[in-house]
Amino acid sequence: MTDNFRAAAPPPGPPRPYHFPSVTRKTLANGLEILVAENHSAPLVAARALIRSGADRDTAELAGLASMTAELLDEGAGDRHAIRIAEDLGLLGASLGTGTDWDASYVTVDVLSRTFEPTLKIFADVVRRPMLPDSALERLRSERLMDLLQQREEPAAIAGKRFSNLLYGRGTYGNSVIGNPESVSHLKIDDVRRFYSGNFIPNNTAMIVAGDVAAANVVDAIGSLFGDWPRGPEPERPRITPEPIEKSRIYLIDRPNAVQSEIRVGHVGVPRSSEDYFPLTVMNALLGGVFNSRINLNLRERHGYTYGARSAFAFRRQAGPFVVSAPVRNEVTLESVTEVFNELRRIRTGDIEQRELEDTKNYLAGVFPATVQSSSDIAGRLLDMELYDLPHDYFDHFRENIAAVSAEDIARVANKYIDPERALIVIVGNAAQIREPLGTLGFPIHDLDVDGNLLPVA
Amino acid sequence: MLSIEDYRLPNGLRVVLNEDHSAPLVAINLWYHVGSKNERRGRTGFAHLFEHMLFSGSEHVGNTEHFRYVQSVGGVLNGTTFFDRTNYFETLPSNYLALGLWLESDRMGFFLPALSQDKLDIQRDVVKEERRQLYDNVPYGTAFERLLHLAYEPDYSYHWPTIGSMEDLTAASLDDVRKFFSTWYRPDNCVLTLVGDFVPSQARELAAQYFGDIPPGKSFPPFDLIRRETRSERRETFPARVPLPRIYRLYHLPRMGDRDWIAGDLLSTVLTSDKASRLERALVYEKQIATDVAVYVLPTEATGMLLLQATAKEDVPIDDVEHAIDDEIERVVVGGITEDELTRARNRAEVDFAHQIENYDTRADLIGMLATFFEEPKRILDWLEPYRAATAGDLKRVAQTYLVPENRVTSIFVPEAA
Repeated sequence: MTDNFRAAAPPPGPPRPYHFPSVTRKTLANGLEILVAENHSAPLVAARALIRSGADRDTAELAGLASMTAELLDEGAGDRHAIRIAEDLGLLGASLGTGTDWDASYVTVDVLSRTFEPTLKIFADVVRRPMLPDSALERLRSERLMDLLQQREEPAAIAGKRFSNLLYGRGTYGNSVIGNPESVSHLKIDDVRRFYSGNFIPNNTAMIVAGDVAAANVVDAIGSLFGDWPRGPEPERPRITPEPIEKSRIYLIDRPNAVQSEIRVGHVGVPRSSEDYFPLTVMNALLGGVFNSRINLNLRERHGYTYGARSAFAFRRQAGPFVVSAPVRNEVTLESVTEVFNELRRIRTGDIEQRELEDTKNYLAGVFPATVQSSSDIAGRLLDMELYDLPHDYFDHFRENIAAVSAEDIARVANKYIDPERALIVIVGNAAQIREPLGTLGFPIHDLDVDGNLLPVA
Repeated sequence: MLSIEDYRLPNGLRVVLNEDHSAPLVAINLWYHVGSKNERRGRTGFAHLFEHMLFSGSEHVGNTEHFRYVQSVGGVLNGTTFFDRTNYFETLPSNYLALGLWLESDRMGFFLPALSQDKLDIQRDVVKEERRQLYDNVPYGTAFERLLHLAYEPDYSYHWPTIGSMEDLTAASLDDVRKFFSTWYRPDNCVLTLVGDFVPSQARELAAQYFGDIPPGKSFPPFDLIRRETRSERRETFPARVPLPRIYRLYHLPRMGDRDWIAGDLLSTVLTSDKASRLERALVYEKQIATDVAVYVLPTEATGMLLLQATAKEDVPIDDVEHAIDDEIERVVVGGITEDELTRARNRAEVDFAHQIENYDTRADLIGMLATFFEEPKRILDWLEPYRAATAGDLKRVAQTYLVPENRVTSIFVPEAA
């Protein structure tokens, strides 16, 4: 030990090997895909049913239908009513959940390995034999209308909704996953049942299990519980219908008592299947995807404008949004938008330091093991693999795909996929305080109410 | 079975090692036994502001470089502050254990030389934005703050939340930072926990190398928290910009880990956890007067708290919701709970615990807490024992003793008149 061992960071030891768990796969005759990964580090199991239909299958009139269907799945299934399901799962030490995002619907269960087998039977009932009772729809509808009412006072929710709606209109990705008050009011139990029978079919579903199990036994158990589930015709998927943006413009939603402005800047991005997925992932991490990214360091650590600012590409089956988001205090709203635009313009110039590129790539490549420790994390990775048709050796080559990204790639994809001159700027905040400064940006300003209606010029 | 090694360096730093080679990772976790509880009036929010400062560099680590060192090798990191403690943690590829210890020891031992007014001003602004984002600019954001004001006297330092007040954040000075650091950030007020892929003999050597020469402090300021019992419920109704009325309650409990706190934890699961739980079933599923209801206990050291909240549906008087809650609690007070309910609550505690120790980072954090609050890091080995030992009678008794009006405070948020 020398005196100056504190002067510089110590070198690492030799790297330790990491391997993603091996995956046992089987496709049943009815099209159901099964993926099982053994992980014996804890006596737990994570099981997921992935139904490749999410809110992207909703029509504008019935927005929220997919998520309502998922919520109804455990409101009685097989020969158990809703309370009985909860009681029996509780006695088994199992937590069951259902959910929906834009690309898929999910039934999830996390359970102790010693009670996995009986739990899987109830799980199969919830996926295959839900009662979908009308009384439960009425209750859930009423709860959802209350949630939508609450969101009208949540600035981040308002900003997100208005941004999506302005980008995608009334169609796919333009609503929120849970719909809007009008569409939710119109949902009928027959709609739910039709959505269920058209989408919850084995050839649209994957069963994913990770944890303290024997893979062969799980494959057999799933085969016997799901093997006689009849196939159905592949459901339709509506296409997104974004409006082109000719020139950047600001939409302002007034909250007279707001002490912060919720800022969103962005436009349509790319689908998950993009050939530029890896360069885009690195570029976004460097731009605003991690704590030490440019946008966060600029707005937070250099200026103290915000508790956190970030950028993200929503990589979905179709092109989701690219968006920069930042909540900032009223007084620095103009300055914050200006700095966001500075960063968006700068990343396109090819001004990339070698060190920040290496740091970013090393982070993305190196952080993988830390994010897949638990069985539920592993199941999440398998879900992604299944949902986006990733190659079976995807995680084995993830690091080298990240490592291959160059500074030229960053500049190229930044130019191709980020366009600050054709972006929407949505700001939810104190209009009286922020409108005038924002006017100096040179972008037209339109006023919206909380529901997105255009207001007359003040 | 986990293997736990627990020892102290000569300077008082408690080191806890849990070797586990399931993943090529190491979780490094430091619990400093200082939180908002140790603040004085006029400087609320300071412990948390200080946590931010500790990420802004030390003698050998530049501003924002702490994050860069960790992230650029594939690590994840953060810090949090609560009433009783401040924790700092990173999970790294295990061959970078020395890097993590270098970073943590530099800010424990060599923080002051890097301090500057600029850094303090920036982090003060960041923390004020945190307060605006999470408390002041969102519906119900100040509910917990209001409950604490009702529940504790102004001289009892759970009276204010960790985030503190804007006024006090403005008042925080560089001199405050220096004094706070010297008083609390010292090896004999810290637990260093390592979980993961390391050889214990090497980990011991590294801990000694990096932390061994940091001097302990002299003494701790006298500190005595005695909560004054209340004889009647304190209540308020607070008109705010919220769409729906919501009731918040705080019930006093014994401190975290006490037998009755454990029973309170199980009781909170009996009351709310799924559709079959008492309050969810009654309020949301059957009467359909509330959109949500939640009950939970907080891991606090000086005194315990059980929190409850429920949101009334539109056009439902909040009184109806409150009466329904009280009716259900009364049913437990009078009739107790069933063995099945107890089994379900125990199962949930078992699964939650299994999830908590599944990942190195959350396991290390639990060990740090047990070492800090109870001086017993090995308590992780039989953490579930008191949960298994609790009886239906215990839960009934806890409901009778603690879930009574004179032991609670209530804050009701109602939509302000337009």
